[in-house]
Amino acid sequence: MVDIPHKLPAVAPSTESALRVRLRRVRELSASVLANPTTVLGFVLIVAMISMAVFAPLITEANTPDPYQMPRDWGALNEPPGTDGFLLGTTNTGGDVFYGVVWGARTSLRLSLIVVGITVLVGVLVGSVAGFRGGKFDEILMRLVDVFLSIPELIFALAIAAVLGPSFGNIILALAVVFWVKYARIMRAQVLHVKANEYVDSARIIGDSGWNIYRRDVFPNAITPIIVQATMDMGHIVLVGATLSFIGLAEAGLAEWGVLVSEGQAGISAGRWWASTFPGLMVFLWALAFNLVGDGLRDVLDPRTETAR
Amino acid sequence: MQVREYLIRRLMILPLLVIGTSIIVFTLTRVGGSPIGIYLSHEMSQEEVAEIEARYHLDDPLPVQYLYWAGGVLRGDLGWSGISAGPVTQVMPDKIAASLELAVAAGIVAVTLGVGLGTFAGARRNRLPDHIARIFSISGASMPTFWFAIILLIVFWVYLGWFPVGRSTTALFTSIEHPTGLYTVDALLAGNLRAFGDALWHLVLPAVTLGYGATAIIARMMRSSLVEELQEDYVDAARAKGLAERVVLKRHARRNALIPTVTVIGLSFGFLLQGSVVTEIIFQWPGMGRWMADAVLRGDQATIMAYVLFTSVLFLGVNLVVDIVYAYLDRRVVLGD
Amino acid sequence: MTESTMPIASIRDLRIHFRSKAGVVHAVDGVSFDIRRGETLGLVGETGCGKSVTARSLLRLNPMPPGIHAGGTVEFRGAGELPVELNGVDESTLRAIRGNRIAMIFQDPGKALNPGLTVREQIAEVFYQHRADELLDDIGLTDRAGLVRTLIAREASLRSRWIERGLLRVPPLRAHRAALRRAVDDRVTDALAETQIPNPRAVMDRYPHELSGGMRQRVMIAQALACNPDLLIADEPTTALDVTVQARILDLINDLQRRHDTAVLYISHDLSLVRRVCDRVVVMYAGKIVETGPTEDLFANPSHPYTRGLLAAIPSASHQRGALAAIEGTVPELVDPDPGCRFATRCGFATPMCETTDPGLAPVAADHEVACFIHHPVPGGVGPAYEKAAT
Repeated sequence: MVDIPHKLPAVAPSTESALRVRLRRVRELSASVLANPTTVLGFVLIVAMISMAVFAPLITEANTPDPYQMPRDWGALNEPPGTDGFLLGTTNTGGDVFYGVVWGARTSLRLSLIVVGITVLVGVLVGSVAGFRGGKFDEILMRLVDVFLSIPELIFALAIAAVLGPSFGNIILALAVVFWVKYARIMRAQVLHVKANEYVDSARIIGDSGWNIYRRDVFPNAITPIIVQATMDMGHIVLVGATLSFIGLAEAGLAEWGVLVSEGQAGISAGRWWASTFPGLMVFLWALAFNLVGDGLRDVLDPRTETAR
Repeated sequence: MQVREYLIRRLMILPLLVIGTSIIVFTLTRVGGSPIGIYLSHEMSQEEVAEIEARYHLDDPLPVQYLYWAGGVLRGDLGWSGISAGPVTQVMPDKIAASLELAVAAGIVAVTLGVGLGTFAGARRNRLPDHIARIFSISGASMPTFWFAIILLIVFWVYLGWFPVGRSTTALFTSIEHPTGLYTVDALLAGNLRAFGDALWHLVLPAVTLGYGATAIIARMMRSSLVEELQEDYVDAARAKGLAERVVLKRHARRNALIPTVTVIGLSFGFLLQGSVVTEIIFQWPGMGRWMADAVLRGDQATIMAYVLFTSVLFLGVNLVVDIVYAYLDRRVVLGD
Repeated sequence: MTESTMPIASIRDLRIHFRSKAGVVHAVDGVSFDIRRGETLGLVGETGCGKSVTARSLLRLNPMPPGIHAGGTVEFRGAGELPVELNGVDESTLRAIRGNRIAMIFQDPGKALNPGLTVREQIAEVFYQHRADELLDDIGLTDRAGLVRTLIAREASLRSRWIERGLLRVPPLRAHRAALRRAVDDRVTDALAETQIPNPRAVMDRYPHELSGGMRQRVMIAQALACNPDLLIADEPTTALDVTVQARILDLINDLQRRHDTAVLYISHDLSLVRRVCDRVVVMYAGKIVETGPTEDLFANPSHPYTRGLLAAIPSASHQRGALAAIEGTVPELVDPDPGCRFATRCGFATPMCETTDPGLAPVAADHEVACFIHHPVPGGVGPAYEKAAT
């Protein structure tokens, strides 16, 4: 290919302090991340949906005794959207679709935060130990990871949740069991990468402790792929979770998008589209938002992987 | 030959992975309550129950139980399916055939649309078609299959009435033999074009639904792969020979770009497997996925375990085959150039 | 040296710029020279001087966004034909020239040959594209009208859709298709044999990565010369090859060139190579031509300070041990370049006037031109001179 010739700018020696360098880097990264319009769209969506989740009690009156259960108005069955008091209509059991959409966001936020939290913690821990220890422990762990990855995610989670019994808590557990392996892998790879670096040997000789090496070299580098993965997982977990609820593994009447879509199915042949469409749309938007942001982050933080740029 | 060694190693690990998966499945059966539940059916007498307990050594420690369970599996005993009222191994083949037909149709949709869209976008990099294709690709990865299915259902079945639900119009198929279990093929073999058309007509909506996610990732991979190939010297050299841009694109760039795209086929297959559960529920397609969903809701452990085992082995196998095919196709890789 | 008459290609004041994030890069800024029939012309300069861009403009191969044709003409004049302005000509005329009248071989044959196609398939393309009619003649279908001819003709010119290709597998048509294939194979074998490849029939079925570097380059040469072009552009054809193979390839090109009366444009940064094979040399720097002339004359009397610097920088066996003479400084900014002589910042003899006024090319001897105020009248102010600079 023809080289487009132009001169490279001269590089002046840096005089900034370490902290200011870091702050500047963060600002530069944010700028380049936000330069991408699709990423910005993702951010906006995330903010909107998380706000909806956080301010749910203010947006609609919380149901009693359990706000996460759909409120039922037996006098207002199957109302179409726009009916008085029911912005998005009602289900065939009188459930307020709008309530479901708003509190479903809250449910999804809880689900994704808890699952991602657990999986990152467990994965990072296990991966680090495996990487540092090496030997038998590492071998066994990697085989375990390989086995876990040979079962398709949804099917694995489905089987676990089925065996444990239908409940939202079991869905959380099932998802956590399935999704932690990716983080273990990432972490382990980072640890091994640093270990292979001769620098570690010389640092060890000087007497540097493993924990310091970890803190200084492994952790900062590992953080970026983990952040990217966690962002994508925030979206993906809700998607899989909603699918599990749709299939029927959550409690009936839960204010959760998947459950709502499932309950709305009955009315479809009669033309009552709203009970399934709106909650399902929310699942899509949630996953889309986090995917867009995750993609944007990956483009900026990990440019090795060429995505559809 | 680095690659060949790598593939041989993969091939040798495969049985270990299968065993590992079976251990997980076995663990799940033990976690979920009665270990004997898989084998029980309603009509069993006390003696039969006792015999099963003995045969599978259900009083012995777990590792022993595992060995007997695995032995049973290898002999074809996957338990009794409560929801289908029959042995799992007997009920499965029909379900597999139905899912296979749907998966193949979805696969055809995904590959043709995905490759076409990806090529279209890649050849017009950073122009409008590329941006539209990118939005499509991202939405594909975020699209909840169950919601997409319902939207299609609402639009095309309820409101437009263009397409039906279910696998076939029963009346048309009562007289047709089912040697393969694939309605389209069976209809053709019977020379019944009307039935063939009917089977296809029923396939459209579920195939499009199921194939959507796979289409998106194939398109994305195709696009980036094509963009890379178009930057290679041989593309310029082909233009310098006086070849038309269309020929350069199709015969040179795209052909080579298809090779890396093969690698996402394994991933797409995963999409197809997972999407089939929900797609079959919504379109009332009598395949493995819907069977699994029923099993999950009614606690039919044998079906659940058989399904997990089957899909995992299939998934592993497909991925390995794809890797082998890719290694063969990419001559640059194989001969270490 | 071959007798030269009318130029087959004339580049006049060519300007090609590229849009980049840094601005508009003036890659080629006012380049003019001729290529005469049958001659071997060397286009020399360091990386980034615009020689590749200039040469590619002869085939209109520069990507046009981000590239901009900012001015000038590139004329191609085949034997006894009207001149064609390559920048403005339409697609199909251009494609009839590419690979047919003007051909190009690339630096790294490992990358410039499609790794997924056999040698046969790639060389055959040239014949399909440009000699379809002759091929039809070879198999005796020229006079027959009808479906058969149409299908084969389309196959021969790479225009058939896959359905048509499927139809051609049907028995009666199959024979014609086989005949076509044989005719093409013969031509491909002939082309390969000309480049002294041993056992062409076997090589034909090989993939590029199964061949050595030297063989690949021969394949590229065979492909380029298959249709007897008037001009061959050779972009650093030996850079990627072993030293031992280099000489043989150069001799091969020389031999073929003389046999077919083909002009060759060598693009190179290797002066010793240029000295060996070229009749005339054009020296480029930062998008402009600084000196041009017959090889012997230019090497004997290098007139431009840059040329002198280049020649002084070549280490030779007779060179005394000590510091290698390098030219100080770096290539100037090509985005919004300064108006004066591009070499002024690195030139040991430059005066303030050199930095403000652009010296054009002016003759310094027979057929030998230089763009430097040392050699021709200065418009005003003090001009540079060789005597002034201290050692």
